[in-house]
Amino acid sequence: MKPRVIIGTVAIVIFTSLLMWNFGNSIGSYVGFEDAELSGNRVHVIGKWVQEKPHGFDNERMVFTFYMQDEYEQVRRVSYNRPKPNNFEDAESLVVVGTMRNGVLYSDDMLVKCPSKYNDASNLEISMN
Amino acid sequence: MIGILGSSALVLAFLASLGAFVLYFLASQKNDVKLEKLGHLLFGLKGALVFFASALLVYLLLTNQFQYFYVYNYTSSDLSNVYLWAAFYSGQEGSFLLWILCGYLVGMGLIKWTGDTYRSPVMFFMTLTQVFLLSMVIGVTLFGVHIGASPFRLTAQEFAHLPVFISNPSFVPAEGSGLNDLLRSPWIIIHPPVIFLGFAMMAVPFAFALASLWKRKYHEWIHPALPWTLGANLCLLVAIFLGGYWAYETLSFGGYWAWDPVENASLVPWILGTAGIHTMLIQKRSKIAHKASIIFAILAYVTIVYQTFLTRSGILGDASVHSFVDLGLYNQLLLFIVAVSLSGVILYALRMRELPTQKSETPIFSREFFMFSGAMTLLIVSLVIIIGTSAPIIGRLFVANPTPPQPQFYNDWTLPFALAIAVLTVLTQYLWWNKYKDTESFAGSLITPTVSASFISVALIIVAQVTNIIYMVYLFIAVFSIIGNGMVMTKLVKKSPKMIGGSVTHIGFAVMLIGFLGAAYDSPMLDRNTINYNAAVERGEVIDDDGFPVHQTLEVMKLDINQPRRVNDEYFVTFRDATISHDNRPGEQRYTIEFEHVRTGKTFVVNPVVYPMIANSTAGNISWTVDPEVQMGWLRDIYVYVSNSSMVERESSRVQDESSSFQAVADRLMNGYEQSLTPEVNNLVRLRPGATRNLGQYKVEFDRFINVSEEDLPENAVVGVQASINITNSQTRQTETVTPLYAILYDDGRNTIHSPVVELENFDFDLMFETIDTATDEAHFRLIGIEEYIEDEWIIIAIERKPLVSVVWLGTFLLMFGFSIAIYRRWEDQRVRTKQDRHYGDE
Repeated sequence: MKPRVIIGTVAIVIFTSLLMWNFGNSIGSYVGFEDAELSGNRVHVIGKWVQEKPHGFDNERMVFTFYMQDEYEQVRRVSYNRPKPNNFEDAESLVVVGTMRNGVLYSDDMLVKCPSKYNDASNLEISMN
Repeated sequence: MIGILGSSALVLAFLASLGAFVLYFLASQKNDVKLEKLGHLLFGLKGALVFFASALLVYLLLTNQFQYFYVYNYTSSDLSNVYLWAAFYSGQEGSFLLWILCGYLVGMGLIKWTGDTYRSPVMFFMTLTQVFLLSMVIGVTLFGVHIGASPFRLTAQEFAHLPVFISNPSFVPAEGSGLNDLLRSPWIIIHPPVIFLGFAMMAVPFAFALASLWKRKYHEWIHPALPWTLGANLCLLVAIFLGGYWAYETLSFGGYWAWDPVENASLVPWILGTAGIHTMLIQKRSKIAHKASIIFAILAYVTIVYQTFLTRSGILGDASVHSFVDLGLYNQLLLFIVAVSLSGVILYALRMRELPTQKSETPIFSREFFMFSGAMTLLIVSLVIIIGTSAPIIGRLFVANPTPPQPQFYNDWTLPFALAIAVLTVLTQYLWWNKYKDTESFAGSLITPTVSASFISVALIIVAQVTNIIYMVYLFIAVFSIIGNGMVMTKLVKKSPKMIGGSVTHIGFAVMLIGFLGAAYDSPMLDRNTINYNAAVERGEVIDDDGFPVHQTLEVMKLDINQPRRVNDEYFVTFRDATISHDNRPGEQRYTIEFEHVRTGKTFVVNPVVYPMIANSTAGNISWTVDPEVQMGWLRDIYVYVSNSSMVERESSRVQDESSSFQAVADRLMNGYEQSLTPEVNNLVRLRPGATRNLGQYKVEFDRFINVSEEDLPENAVVGVQASINITNSQTRQTETVTPLYAILYDDGRNTIHSPVVELENFDFDLMFETIDTATDEAHFRLIGIEEYIEDEWIIIAIERKPLVSVVWLGTFLLMFGFSIAIYRRWEDQRVRTKQDRHYGDE
């Protein structure tokens, strides 16, 4: 009985440490544009689309470009190498994954957070007018 | 009025379930049949009340009563009844109701089919879950604490701060905010009910396990619990499949699985349920593993509640594409997990010493050992997924603002275990159905599957040109598992077909593993230019306008109309046509893309769709959404979507105006649209009389031939005819009719053609009646100079090659089929057993 228990415990300890080490490496941290620029690594930036600034799909370069304001009020250009994602205009916030170079966030992955519709009064205001 | 009725019904239902909870407790404690019957009565009453409340909610939805917040928030008057009905569970409150209803149906089944030993404690725990779920929807404030969110809240209460409600509290919105267009899909009718049925059924093994602890009857509970657990697993599997297929086929999520927390929420209970099924089978056969069965049964349900907490408490915020926002249920959900887990932990701790333990150690080469190892591996896999999904909580150990882990983390830590399981299934199945004298004879029987798997996988590796050594091993193991389990199955089919449930599921699992391998070979299909460009980017040779090197490669390309592009040296891809129809939604655009195989010349056509999301659009800003089309094949799918086009841009600028309500947008989209694009850019039009052809925005209609009298023809004409042609610009609605002449002249002993160029008055190009093709009866007209005026027609297209997706589906179907056989068998088993029990009871 004894050796089994020892081997089992050792295996579990090794397994768990490896797992958690790998887990720690595979998660990142949400950062703002400034930290993203400094780190130079692949990062997640949360922000809101700045509607007033130009945006659109560039048919020559095949990138979707828009401006985003991060949680620290910084506005930067985002260059996304895929077509505009579904629900983009409707998003209440965006999570853009990519690397920051020369003030532009080059992204190949974007998560569009749709409004929960909870407390969404936009339509009400319209029907009011 | 209806709202008050509905809320009261829910509150009464909550009270009834509390009553049933107490009664079942007393009945279990005192073994009192009368109290139990009373409990059933209250349980039934609770169900009736919830049904009543749900019916009221559906009625409100169907009649567009926007003064109710739930109706306002999830529907609009343009929705068809089917989607109005689906809106019932589109929000959190309604989906809780659906879950409760499923729990009620399961509970009624349990009352009917469960034997006397466990019935009241099982119903006690079922009712426990119902009490908590009901508390989520009652919406009552008690001693200053707000409990639950009622689906019958009024819009006026919800938006009490808005000026419109301050000035006029009885204001009723004329229109709701609508169901998200992405959810307007037939899949929403079936997907959620199956999930919640699965969630509700997974409470059954939990209840039985706890009942067995309570009643100190540690063995018999697995017989009735087994078919329920299998049923719950089948439901979750079907739900996972439907969700994956929906995401892949219509939502353009890019794949069938993304390790999204909401997906994991049904996967983890499924894995733990599977582990539980296996330990129950060990327990059934060998009267060991009682503890494991109980633990897995408890864990499967606890994880359902835990993942519900994760996805609905708002804690996952930025981690999921599914957004659920905290309805103020955080504490209640937390309490729910604590209650469910504690009841498990406490009861288990109380009975731990009494639980049957194994007398002797299980020998290593035994089916029990292998099966148990398999179950433990499943446990490890589910722990990995739970850790990954819990990143927003656990990740704080590592970083301040943790993001979800990369999909790589999940793949790396689950697939190796999946392979181990695939091997274990074979070993276990062999030991389960055969008797071996010693390990040697056991090993001997494995020679055939091993050798044949080696041959087949080597052949596959060569044919599919697999170069990665890990993938080779992976492939070998999966093939081995298919063959091993297949051999067991062929033997069983002859003996007793209803026994094959296990081997069919195991084959399905291994088939799925092969399918997963395909995802490693997903690749965008691009034309030569784009491929060269990407290669240049990789080499760092591409510089952007600001002088910085470009790092992003392209995954989409531009196609001009009717200009074939050679893609991946495999297909010529041509953008043929685009049409706007209003059949499904206003302004929906359907594209025709033709694929022609480079070598075989075989062609097929795909029709991806782009449509405006009316509910989220204003005329100034239309949200276009893509609906991909998949060309399915056994070995590979071709996944196509159009991300932008000249038509999209034209429609957007055409519809632009100040009106912003969605009906106005829809109206504008419906009117004055261009029906379709040009199928040709050539300025030559071949037409028979009566036919029409589009050239860009120009419509050319050949009305008829006009006979020309001889005096109107040139002197030396042999024969001549005029054509009546109508030309219309479909954008400006300008139109013109001309009658060009075609004549054959006889000059200097030979025939020449006389076809004078006609200058058009309304358009800046000319027209010529070039010839008549007697073979096809077509007249040829050349519109000289029209090329300059035809607007460019182009699309930006993404084509992806996704190998072996069909194999994943095949594996899933085999799993479903296997589970169904197993349910049938265990259910029969249980019926026979109950009959015998009754029989003995009578004696």
